[in-house]
Amino acid sequence: MAQLTESSASLQNVTAARVSSWSRLSGRVSPYLFMLPALILVSLLLLWPFLRSAWLSFTNFKGIGEAKWVGLDNYRQLFNDPVLSTSMKNTLYWVIGTLVLPVGLGLLIAVASYDVRGGSLYRLPFLMPYALSGTAIATVWQFMLTKNGALNSILGALGLESLERSWLLRPPLNTWAMIFASTWQAVGVSVLLFLIGLQVIPRDPIEAARLDGAEGWRLFRDMTFPLLRPMTIVTVGISLVNSLKTFDIIWIMTQGGPYRSSETLAVTMYRQTFVLFEHGYGAAISVVLSVIVLIVSLLYLTRTLRSS
Amino acid sequence: MRIGTIIRHAILLILGAVWIIPLYLFLVNAATPPKQYGGKERWQLPQTFGLTDNISSAWKAAHLSEAVLSTALYAVAGGVLAVLFASMAAFAIISLKVRGGFLWFLIIYAGTIFPFQMYLSPLYTMYVQRHLYNTHLGMLVLYTAIAIPFATFVMRNHFTSVPPDLGEAARLDGAGSVRVFANIFAPLSLNAFATVFILQFTWIWNDLLFGLTLSRSADIRPIMAALAALQGQYSSSGPPVALAGALIVSIPTFVLFFAVQRVFVRGLRATA
Repeated sequence: MAQLTESSASLQNVTAARVSSWSRLSGRVSPYLFMLPALILVSLLLLWPFLRSAWLSFTNFKGIGEAKWVGLDNYRQLFNDPVLSTSMKNTLYWVIGTLVLPVGLGLLIAVASYDVRGGSLYRLPFLMPYALSGTAIATVWQFMLTKNGALNSILGALGLESLERSWLLRPPLNTWAMIFASTWQAVGVSVLLFLIGLQVIPRDPIEAARLDGAEGWRLFRDMTFPLLRPMTIVTVGISLVNSLKTFDIIWIMTQGGPYRSSETLAVTMYRQTFVLFEHGYGAAISVVLSVIVLIVSLLYLTRTLRSS
Repeated sequence: MRIGTIIRHAILLILGAVWIIPLYLFLVNAATPPKQYGGKERWQLPQTFGLTDNISSAWKAAHLSEAVLSTALYAVAGGVLAVLFASMAAFAIISLKVRGGFLWFLIIYAGTIFPFQMYLSPLYTMYVQRHLYNTHLGMLVLYTAIAIPFATFVMRNHFTSVPPDLGEAARLDGAGSVRVFANIFAPLSLNAFATVFILQFTWIWNDLLFGLTLSRSADIRPIMAALAALQGQYSSSGPPVALAGALIVSIPTFVLFFAVQRVFVRGLRATA
């Protein structure tokens, strides 16, 4: 009997020990279990492909068969390939165009419509295209810019026949035409960002400057713009990254043509990989694009992470 | 009125016109019957209203019934799963204080920093080998995964604003992590869930790149890839049908954007 009690007591001890070690174990394991689905999906579908692309960029992989190591050959080819130099040049146009158009116009529209009666109504036309997809934007602008499209007939009606062009057929005009189409969509986001910026900048220094007689352009240049600086950095960062990633608009409007004259790195990578099956070379292009995007991102990413 | 105010109004009116004209022509020409189109854009509303006919032509030519169903599956289920998995991960990092939490966050967040071109070729090869290419499952898994990094970013920010005492108190009462997550954190996060879901739904709905790369047939490919195919047959169906197609596929996200504009601004604030 005593034995029995003893053994049941020890059994209880064992169970208690097991329970507590189980709860300790689950305490240690469960945080990881919570992260597991996100980690598995991100690693398998994003991080692993990323690493593999980096590796493929040093191979001659053609989509099927063996991937043979070729060292820096792809990168060397990249700097001697006329298609790539056009593509790089166009990518640079996109970067410059983005700084001037969506960012510059966005700032202009935000400042002009801030504190103006009917401001939100004025902003509506700029927000509507932002709510459309890139594919829809490209469909609309293809229609606007073809040879006998709307833009040419507007120019004709204004008596500016001499300005009529084959907008999508001539380089580098076709790239600038698509930069404008993309601006038509993207300006909404910079308007919104600058508006947020205008709402949070401190009022006191501006009021003080106004009392000192600063007005209009001078008030903007000396006070508002410097105070908006943090938001300007963010807007420039977001706009540049978006423009470097632009694919839909170019792919639908020109497919990068004619004769590969309007490709950017994002489009060249796609064509090289999925049309010409040069996966290794395509991977090298995506690495170069990533490095560029990363440099631009660091501009504002450090700020974002620090503030959060 | 002061001169400055006049200039501001003038700028807004001129730029506004430049922005509205394409929108106007988009609508008018999407409503023009192909027979009245005659190779040039129209400026006046047509006598006979052709929008519904054009939409149904586009609907048939691009197999939009199938594309709408598939895309709704990708965008709704992908958005929901991304919100769930991302908030679980954020919960582990913020509330369960998993060791090396910030590093884990960076690993997940890294998925959103690079251009998608970096993922395409290995994804395509892997999808073909694993028989995920051109399947509903494959598309759904990809869209879920690609939505997770940004969702984790937003949810992590949000969870830092939940008072840690709430979780601690529940845990002292013997509640396990799952209960703390489901009964305390989740009810406090409905707004953040909705924000992330709406942003990711919109993103998935509008995606073209992955749709083109990882799917092929009309019953699998997402809606923007279907629209792109319609655009490819531009010459045969004519601009009014292509425009009507662009219009109809845009309606869900367009309505969503203006219904909850605040959510999109909140999303921008999060990235800013």
